[in-house]
Amino acid sequence: MKRVFFIAFNEVKLYLQDKGDLAFSLLLPIVTFALIYGAFGGQTLFEATAYVVDEDEGAYSSIFLEQLEAVEGVDVELITTSQADTKLERSDVLLVLHIPDGFSEALTSGERTQLVFRQRGNAGQEGQIVANIIRGVAEEMNQEFQVHRQVSDSLQGKGIPEDRIEVVVQEFLDKERRQPVVGVVEETLGGSPDFVNQFLPGIVTMYVLFAIAMAARVIVEERRKGTLERLLTTRLSVGQLFLGKFFASVSRGFVQTLILLGLSYAVFQIFTPLSFLESLVIALIFAGAASAVGLIIASIARSEDGATWIAVVFSVITFMIGGTFFEIAEGTTLYTISRISINSYANDAFNVIIAQGGSLADVGPELGILAGVMVVGLVVSRLIFRVVPGGK
Amino acid sequence: MAEEFLVVKDLHKSFNEFKAVNGVSFSIGKGEIFGLLGPNGAGKTTTIRMLSTVLKADSGDVTIGGHSVRRDAEAVRNIIGVCPQDLALYEDLSALDNMVFFGRMAGLDGKEARDQAMTNLKLMGLVDRAKGKVAKFSGGMKRRINLAIALMGNPQLLFLDEPTVGIDPQSRNNIYETIEGLRDKGMTILYTTHYMEEADRLCKRVAIMDGGQIIALDTVYKLKGEIGSPEQVTLEDVFLKLTGRSLRD
Repeated sequence: MKRVFFIAFNEVKLYLQDKGDLAFSLLLPIVTFALIYGAFGGQTLFEATAYVVDEDEGAYSSIFLEQLEAVEGVDVELITTSQADTKLERSDVLLVLHIPDGFSEALTSGERTQLVFRQRGNAGQEGQIVANIIRGVAEEMNQEFQVHRQVSDSLQGKGIPEDRIEVVVQEFLDKERRQPVVGVVEETLGGSPDFVNQFLPGIVTMYVLFAIAMAARVIVEERRKGTLERLLTTRLSVGQLFLGKFFASVSRGFVQTLILLGLSYAVFQIFTPLSFLESLVIALIFAGAASAVGLIIASIARSEDGATWIAVVFSVITFMIGGTFFEIAEGTTLYTISRISINSYANDAFNVIIAQGGSLADVGPELGILAGVMVVGLVVSRLIFRVVPGGK
Repeated sequence: MAEEFLVVKDLHKSFNEFKAVNGVSFSIGKGEIFGLLGPNGAGKTTTIRMLSTVLKADSGDVTIGGHSVRRDAEAVRNIIGVCPQDLALYEDLSALDNMVFFGRMAGLDGKEARDQAMTNLKLMGLVDRAKGKVAKFSGGMKRRINLAIALMGNPQLLFLDEPTVGIDPQSRNNIYETIEGLRDKGMTILYTTHYMEEADRLCKRVAIMDGGQIIALDTVYKLKGEIGSPEQVTLEDVFLKLTGRSLRD
């Protein structure tokens, strides 16, 4: 077992000697993290534009638009009917709110009126959210009118001036807004950067996939240096050589992940101590699976270029079909295909821990599959390996 | 010949249709430097690969120090050292780190590996460059480190596959003296080279291979005597007479 350790140690030593490689592999996760932070740090609220055709242009449509604009994260952009038609036709926007002509007049005279949504398809996720926000604003306006009407009706004929009724009703509504009967309290657990939650698993698995390319080259590099044959005339067995290279590759892949997850933990606070450790366990097992796959490539590759190309093609395919940055719906053909990819299991496991607050117990099958790939990969790589054609 | 330490019996190895080694048999006595000579493609390196357990023979048997290469390769690897034809070094590491690493692979513990590395570096005249990065060494220094690594673990049988290719006379002389010193200490050495004067100086007996077969095997003196006066004939004359003058690539 000592020789396994020395092989791994030597590999790490060589890695540390290569300043370019070292800087690249350690700085890359830091740079990636900086990009994530730059893109998503503190910008986690919903932001959208509500496209509105105001055919009314009256007092109440203005009030309505003011209230809509006051909603955090919603910008209002007024457009004409023809612009709305063009934008919807081109799918530049998926939802447009029409405030019909006579909207204010109807409200002033106590009649019912309607807002109109014109949309493409189901208006998309953002459109649906904007539509719900508009419904909320309309509902609030509706309630204010009802309060006004009921108060006015009950005080009618009692000699109270209309403007006094207006002031009292407004005070009542303001108080209700400040102290609603059913309030909503936001309780943030460990920060709430949704985008980070969504993308971090994919970024982490992407980094671990680099382990495939790293592992794929280690044996070929030994062959190029001439040290492979020399090593295998010592007491070192092929199994020990592979195990040593495996551990070196796992540790390199793991260190990158550790940096990325560690920075995310420190800055975004998306982990609890336990979920952080659980994520590291997943990263470790996934790095093991990726390294074992890399060693299979290393066993069959005869040149560094060959090893790199096979590893890159394999990683890209794995990355693409594995649902790394997008969710694949269960039961679809793509979902079935994605199960071939090892990072689909890692993604699922990371998602459960990072985004859904689950535990390792919830991702047992995924970890089992990754561990299986690791063991089978190591065995297969050893079986198909030959030092020289016809050799051991 | 002293007690036989390496015995090769009817060794065969083919790659597809090509017979690289075709019925090679010879033996080497303990403490002997035995020369395995031959033009390019004669089968020398394939033979050494089989003897050093890297390549499996199709048939035949090899015994080293009483251990069969086929049946007890691990025991064989415990008593051999290999200095390959091409440099086999980690150029990004220091000379000392290279030697300690291969020493650990040869089964030495940390202190033993370090002590032996310093001894061998001294033997090669490189002790003052122990901590220098191999990448910055001259060709001759790299060749000497290549040989020094093969000595880690104190092997009983040393395979030297063209250890002096492309180096200056000083480095070559240092290697000759080192090899002669090892022989005097009882180490058995299988030596391959294209330089006939090297074989003439170092080896008592040589085998000349061509086309995967041994075409001559005897003492250098007797081989020379077969084509003329041993005092006037060179080993190169013998070699050219036996293998011909046509180019081998």
